[in-house]
Amino acid sequence: MNSIRDKVAVIGVGCTKFGDLYDSTYEDQVCDAAFQAYADAKIDPSEIDAAYIGTYLPHSQGGKAGISLADPLRMYDRPVTRVENFCATGTDAFRNACLAIASGQHDIVLVVGSEKLKDRPGRGIPRIGHQILAKGNTAPGLFALAANRYMHEYGVGRSTLAKVAVKNHWNGARNKLSHLRMEVTEEQVLNAPMIAWPFGLFDCCPTTDGGAAAIVCRADIAKRFRDDYALVKGAALAVATGRPYFDPTFDYVGFRSTQAAAKKAYEQAGIQASDVDLAEVHDCFTWTEITNIEDLGFAEKGQGWKMVEEGRTRVDGDMPINPSGGLKSFGHPIGASGVRMIYECVQQLRGNCGERQVKDPEIALAHNVGGPGAVSCVVVLGRQDS
Amino acid sequence: MVGISSIGVYIPRSRLDRSLIAKAWGGKQPPGDKAVAHHDEDALTLGVAAAHRCLEDFDALEIDGLFFASTSSPYREKQVASVVATACDLPRAILTADFGGSVRAGVSALSAAIRAVQSGQARRVLVVAADCRPADPESDVEGALGDGAVAVVVDAKAKLAEFLGSAAVAEEITFQWRWDQGGGVQQQDARFALGHGYARDMAEVVSSVLNEHGVGASDLGALAVAAPDAKTAQALAKQVGVDAKTQLVPSLITQVGVLGTPDALLQLASALEKAKSGSTVVVAAFGEGAEAILFRATDGVASLAGRPGVGAQIERKLPLPTYEKYLKFRRIIGQDETPVELISNVLEHRELQQDTRLYGTRCGGCGLVQYPMARVCLQCKAREGLEPVKLKKKGVIFTYTVDHLAANLDHPMGMVVVDLDGGGRVYVQMTDCTADEVKIGAPVELTYRRLHSGGENYNYFWKARPV
Repeated sequence: MNSIRDKVAVIGVGCTKFGDLYDSTYEDQVCDAAFQAYADAKIDPSEIDAAYIGTYLPHSQGGKAGISLADPLRMYDRPVTRVENFCATGTDAFRNACLAIASGQHDIVLVVGSEKLKDRPGRGIPRIGHQILAKGNTAPGLFALAANRYMHEYGVGRSTLAKVAVKNHWNGARNKLSHLRMEVTEEQVLNAPMIAWPFGLFDCCPTTDGGAAAIVCRADIAKRFRDDYALVKGAALAVATGRPYFDPTFDYVGFRSTQAAAKKAYEQAGIQASDVDLAEVHDCFTWTEITNIEDLGFAEKGQGWKMVEEGRTRVDGDMPINPSGGLKSFGHPIGASGVRMIYECVQQLRGNCGERQVKDPEIALAHNVGGPGAVSCVVVLGRQDS
Repeated sequence: MVGISSIGVYIPRSRLDRSLIAKAWGGKQPPGDKAVAHHDEDALTLGVAAAHRCLEDFDALEIDGLFFASTSSPYREKQVASVVATACDLPRAILTADFGGSVRAGVSALSAAIRAVQSGQARRVLVVAADCRPADPESDVEGALGDGAVAVVVDAKAKLAEFLGSAAVAEEITFQWRWDQGGGVQQQDARFALGHGYARDMAEVVSSVLNEHGVGASDLGALAVAAPDAKTAQALAKQVGVDAKTQLVPSLITQVGVLGTPDALLQLASALEKAKSGSTVVVAAFGEGAEAILFRATDGVASLAGRPGVGAQIERKLPLPTYEKYLKFRRIIGQDETPVELISNVLEHRELQQDTRLYGTRCGGCGLVQYPMARVCLQCKAREGLEPVKLKKKGVIFTYTVDHLAANLDHPMGMVVVDLDGGGRVYVQMTDCTADEVKIGAPVELTYRRLHSGGENYNYFWKARPV
């Protein structure tokens, strides 16, 4: 099977401010992100051959269709595909755009992720699904099931989890686009109101509005747009059961979908986990970052928490994780998050990140996991000279 | 020989110390606790719990009748007996009926079950009496009314007690009632209703059944009667010539309150636990008349000795910390969980085996037991050879959370992943527990509870509770 490696280039990215965007609409977010990406790639919208929109929830414009992108951008008479895949929605939209290029069908494709969580009544994201089975679940509660089992197995305490929040807030505080731009102390994290044991308020990502965009094209024409494009080295998706809590064979100490997607993405890229210079991973809750570190192969199972304790995941560490601030601080507008990670990876590879800049990275990784553990998407990007 | 072959008692774990009621409203309350159904319990679920206890030693397939007695059925229109039968995984071809109207309905249902078996209409009938009667805050009955359920198996084996005879009278006397406009139990002039109505009607039926079967009052083994208070029962005992100290089954009102339809059967359960083979028991209840049934204990009563019975149910209590929490549990105050839309009756019906009877699937290839029911094996991916399997209702917590975000009247809410004995893993809410009982490795049992409601319809599902 042909690998997707080096066939697709990222020539433009855009990202709105993430946060409580009470005054902007879903459509504003789509437009702001997309037009930023057009400007970044120095491209006219008419040059776009096809588009993918990653958005999870229905929004005010209604409908679960390509119109979620076509109408805000007035991008008609071209293929526009709406992608929904839990929290991996954004990275999966990006992956599909890459496949569209790699297949030879299209030359230039737009990917947008946008989510408007603040327009929804009630707290958090709506619970959908079977009306009787698994009732009472919340997003933090579902991830907490895994966290508690992991912490039980490996003797990890809440203070280790808190260190993930402290690190990601430190990064996010230095990122002008991030939602929660403040540092927190371990003590603050540990003493925050309880949400779902073991997660307190600061162990949880916020509910956030935001949009992000990327423009991908055939690698052989990328130089027409810019010299410092990024190359797609691998893009893999894996799906596991959406009901891990009903799976008697599941050990609950890591996510099989991440493990499978990472293996495939590394294979495509021809790299090993140790070749990755920085990773934007799905830290919806502090513990999720720890399992991601292991599931992505940066540490053995049961050892990832030690990397956190040892400070190795900081921007200046040997395995920087979430230099953007992560979902924890940057925020998590579901469908936008994955594309926002691509934005951060590209900015890091271009060397644009100032105080948060990882030293001279060649390979960056973006990772989403949703479900929890049901779907995971891993994208590996490399510098144009990598 | 028709009679009783099994009896199961279920008292909800939560208790309200009556002094908390006195503290809330001033005035005096009698000492002790009243049993309070959890916020997710009602007469239907209390009934299912008692039925499960009662059926521990029976093959559900051998039950061919279920009578449900309650004055507080969650539905004015919808048969509860059939729901209880389904949750107990009883067969389809059974006789079911709901009894109600007054707290006498528990004894009426028992009597009807005996006739059904005597007549050959049914071979083995499960009688379930359950109540969770509403009491208005600060009303005269608030301190007295408790919640609970008792279930009885009636068949021709009569393993515990043999039916000898019965007597009944009907007399319109207004004592306690609820009209069709909602609200709590009303009560009028107890001195008259008890001193005149209860005393006369109950004495009449008790004496009548004793006389008819040649049992002298002083030879009676136990008098098991429902009564609105302990003194009324004692007065009745005296009136019919029975010694209140040695023959009258002690009232449990101080411990659990007045339960309603289950009361007489609860007294019967206590009586049988202490009965010797050959001794007689009269069980009787009042309500617009009265009915009494006379039993004679059989050799099997010895088997009740050593088993956790009424006493274990009474001791297994979890005190409610405040009166306000009681008001929340009874849904008088407080915000309920987010309401859901009316659940499709098509989906509900299609999934009865899975959701209500609690069946999973066993893979004939690799043997994995899985829930919900599967089309393709989760483990070996086989498409063929998958068979329905009834899941066990006991297991161990594999992992958990205590969720403060989830809307729930008993806040915060435990959510647990349970590995069931015999296979299968379920993910359910925890109930009847304190937060520190929700932990990895803790043994739990599944209990049928109210899950949510929508479209003026209640939805029930299984939850876990500490064993």
